Amino acid sequence: MREKLLSIGEKAIEDVEKLGADQVEVYTSFSKSFSIDVENNAVKSASRDTDGGCGIRTIIDNAVGFAYVTTLQSKDIAEAVERSVALARASVPDPDFVSLPAVSSKYPSVKGLFDPKMESISSEDSAELILAAVDAAREDLSDKKVAVEARINLAVSERGIVNSLGVSGSSKTSFGYLYISPTIKEPNEQTSSYEYRISRNVGDLDPEEVGAIAARNARGNLGARTIEGGDMPILLAPMAVSTVIGGGFSGAVNAEEVQYGRSYISDAIGEQIGSGILSIVDDALLSGGIGSRPFDAEGFPSSRTDVLEAGVLRSLLHNSYTANKDAVDNTGNASRASYAGLPSIATSNLVVEPGHQTQEDLISQIDRGILCRQTGDRPNMTTGDLSAMIMEGSYIEGGEVKHSLKNTLFGINMLDLLDRVKAVGNDTRVTVGAITPSILIESGKVTSG
Amino acid sequence: MEDIAQAAIEGALGNGASFADIRIENTVTTIIEMSDGITRKSLASRLKGAGIRAFADGAWAFAQTTNLTRKGMRETGEAVARLAVATKDHVAEDFIIDGPTFEARTTLDIRKPFEDISLEDKMDFVKRIDSQARDFDDRIVNTRTVYGDLSSSVYVANSLGTSVYWENSLPRIISAPTAKEGSNRQRSFKSVGVRGGYEAMESEAAETVGTRAARQVIDLLSSVAAEGGTYDVVMDPVLNGVMVHEAFGHATEADNWPAHTTVLEDKVGKRVGPEHLNLSDDPTLKAERGSFEYDWEGTKSRRRSLVKDGVLNELLHSLETASRLDMEPNGAARSQSFMYEPLPRMSNTFMEPGDWDVDELISDTREGILLCSFNYGYTDPSRGQFMFQASHGYLIENGERGQMVRDVSLAGQILDVLSKVDAVANDFRMDAGTCGKSGQSVPDMTGGPHARIRSVPVGGI
Repeated sequence: MREKLLSIGEKAIEDVEKLGADQVEVYTSFSKSFSIDVENNAVKSASRDTDGGCGIRTIIDNAVGFAYVTTLQSKDIAEAVERSVALARASVPDPDFVSLPAVSSKYPSVKGLFDPKMESISSEDSAELILAAVDAAREDLSDKKVAVEARINLAVSERGIVNSLGVSGSSKTSFGYLYISPTIKEPNEQTSSYEYRISRNVGDLDPEEVGAIAARNARGNLGARTIEGGDMPILLAPMAVSTVIGGGFSGAVNAEEVQYGRSYISDAIGEQIGSGILSIVDDALLSGGIGSRPFDAEGFPSSRTDVLEAGVLRSLLHNSYTANKDAVDNTGNASRASYAGLPSIATSNLVVEPGHQTQEDLISQIDRGILCRQTGDRPNMTTGDLSAMIMEGSYIEGGEVKHSLKNTLFGINMLDLLDRVKAVGNDTRVTVGAITPSILIESGKVTSG
Repeated sequence: MEDIAQAAIEGALGNGASFADIRIENTVTTIIEMSDGITRKSLASRLKGAGIRAFADGAWAFAQTTNLTRKGMRETGEAVARLAVATKDHVAEDFIIDGPTFEARTTLDIRKPFEDISLEDKMDFVKRIDSQARDFDDRIVNTRTVYGDLSSSVYVANSLGTSVYWENSLPRIISAPTAKEGSNRQRSFKSVGVRGGYEAMESEAAETVGTRAARQVIDLLSSVAAEGGTYDVVMDPVLNGVMVHEAFGHATEADNWPAHTTVLEDKVGKRVGPEHLNLSDDPTLKAERGSFEYDWEGTKSRRRSLVKDGVLNELLHSLETASRLDMEPNGAARSQSFMYEPLPRMSNTFMEPGDWDVDELISDTREGILLCSFNYGYTDPSRGQFMFQASHGYLIENGERGQMVRDVSLAGQILDVLSKVDAVANDFRMDAGTCGKSGQSVPDMTGGPHARIRSVPVGGI
């Protein structure tokens, strides 16, 4: 399939060049995925999806056009070729556009990106995996009335990137996701929690542990109460760091947002913007990492980038456009979810460097504060103001977790949050937004009621 | 189209399925994004394919294909039925999918189809809106303008006999400028999105969206962060719509009932709010972004009275939830595209107007906060909590609108919040949005009148 994707790309490049394009890039991908959904403790549905398509980026006189189609059939691609050229001709030229990436060094070798089991596992074995998680959660909550929702998704995708400057790369990767959410129903209270694993390997999905953690957290969420607000320490558990730092910091070091003046971080390279104990790296070369890759979404070789080193901002995240505009090295952070979009900028694996303390150690240092395990909130990327609901969290007093929280928010500006990191834990885990341990913030504004 | 759909359905029924349905979609989109007068994105796409579902003894299976030949459809129908049959051993509850059938071919009355407007004309429109925002004030340091149009035709058929063809046409314009004064940076967001042809982008609202967004971002430069605390909150129509959507609408989606994941599970027919409270979801409104004549299962849509006089009256149904809960299907099943399974979703969701005059409502509030427009919101129906964020607001001091505040978040409990709505105004407005659920985004509208919620926690910095 990879050969086919590349040859489709080569053919489309020829066709676009015939229509007078200066530069062309063709991104093709083909993915297969299988998923099973569980509702109220039992399997409800299964689905098998295949998704193949092609996206064509055309540059004429510094103006860019892009068209994609959700098939790999030649007559549909021919239509995309024409529309891409027509859009480039209608667009306002961009004086800052320099060039698509040209062939540079060889692609690095990144290990552990494809697990053949992800392709060969039977639907029966997949069902057993997800049901093992459900059973583990139900067993731990056997004294409660419980309804478990769960999902397993196993996917394999192949992609090819070619451009008219000689870039040609292809890869095959696998991705597995196991998610579980038990809801506990008590006579006067209903609560829930969720837990997940993401990995390139089927073997890492660990259903029993995922089920047990979700059950334990759901039980812990019972008895939720409000507290008296005020300024107090906030301990962000890895899943909360994933949202707040993974979403709220990585978006701010996106070079395009900084160049447009839309980020709360601006012109701060080399400056101390965070606590001296906070270091954050973007590492696309991590063995088996869910964001790892030999080349980015424009076919530029991947690398490891120090973003924040002991609180000092070292680099923004770039694609070819922003790197050319700032005349700096491309960090290889061009990203696209599929063939269906232009490359933007995103992290590969955002890694928060761990400290030495366990989460329990961090809790024991808090006289009066809160633990935030989950939030869905991200800051205003322009002002940096963050006002976040504690979706799951607990009140801490005298170094101990007292009870779970409801109707509670915390507020802090992101620059203050980065600056007030007082301790970093060693409980690193892989989340959707970052590979990170817990982080203790010295003080934030808590509102509850 | 009918014949290839039948091939898929017959393929499924011949391989153990008791019910099968299919959606065949052909959609064309254009997106143009400009920043500081330069085209940053000009994108065209075609989505073409079919999603096929089979049902056997309580188990669903789904697959999608872009192979729209008769043979390809039959094979996909057969494969999806085999997957449903293989899955049914793990199912807990068997049930039957049943419901009314529909045969219809509806077309949209469009004056200016998107395909008849040249790319240059669309580009000029975006350029005009982008300049509007940039020229408004020197303190505007970045402009971002996004135009999008989507035109779709969808054919839905099922093994009960439904055969429905419908069309959609959705234009949208967004202006999102950034302003800077010293180290103070602010952003704003305004959009106009409707159901119709390109003529809808010639309305006054669409033609002035850049100026309106620019005015707001300049105003925000003199705003302050709100102080966190418990406030009496007056919501403007847009934010009220978001409250109805997040705090209540999601929890009425009937797939929460078989899954036991909503705090409203035991509340059907019971009081959930004061008597003056009426919440509706209406996909039949003319020219609104969340409207459709038939849903993605081919069921004719109708207005849903979710809360009537304070009582939880109706849920949002798919064929499955209506069958399992023994209620009437009401055409609420929606998919993002043929690539996704239909789920019960909202359409145009709003609070019905009451009888308070807006000015009287604000002056009656004495001390509180008026919250306007929104950045985003989300909800967790299984724990019964929600949060949403207003893009800006004003402190209410001595019954008058005072200092402007920004990014104000409001959190609450689904079962508490409606009972705290003590006054509903007599105005009405809706705003365009996009709703996400289970990885699928669908266009929608939210709105209502101004309304007051007593004593809720508001987050600050």
